[in-house]
Amino acid sequence: MDSILIAMILALLIPIYEAWQDDDIWQKMLAFASIATKTSIMMLVISVLRDDWSIGVVAVITLSVGEAGLMLLAHLIKRLNEA
Amino acid sequence: MIDTLSYGLIIVGIIFWFWGTLPLIGNRSVLFKLHSLSVSDTLGSMAIVVGLLLKIPNEWSLLVLAIMTLAIWNTVLGYVLAYCSSSNEKIINKK
Repeated sequence: MDSILIAMILALLIPIYEAWQDDDIWQKMLAFASIATKTSIMMLVISVLRDDWSIGVVAVITLSVGEAGLMLLAHLIKRLNEA
Repeated sequence: MIDTLSYGLIIVGIIFWFWGTLPLIGNRSVLFKLHSLSVSDTLGSMAIVVGLLLKIPNEWSLLVLAIMTLAIWNTVLGYVLAYCSSSNEKIINKK
């Protein structure tokens, strides 16, 4: 399972690099959306590994609230661009 | 048998992740990247969570909640990002 976690961390590095090197705000938002999903799934994997379910609950909360926050941010950026 | 199936599902999920994330680095349009990203992130993550579900079935309620959250929130986020970024292009064309 550890090698699976290392592969997940590698998969997480790609959007982090993308968010760092791209200047367009929408490309950064894409990268952040991808980072949010990947980190919460990694938290779920770790909670199954350790069989500790408080981490699992935190992972599901991070998943839904994180994506909701990104949606609000997307609307904010849209309004800012219109102004 | 169940273990190999769950590891297989998790590996398929990780392959989906890599397949969806690699075009992110290229300089294609936002919508092209968004399509491959939201498809791969949602399906890949759901394959991983189903793989976890097979591994430890006693906490199935939390993992089913994660699958539903993923299916709903990730697709709606993809839609919102597409809507907000494409309305941005309309404004630029108007100027």
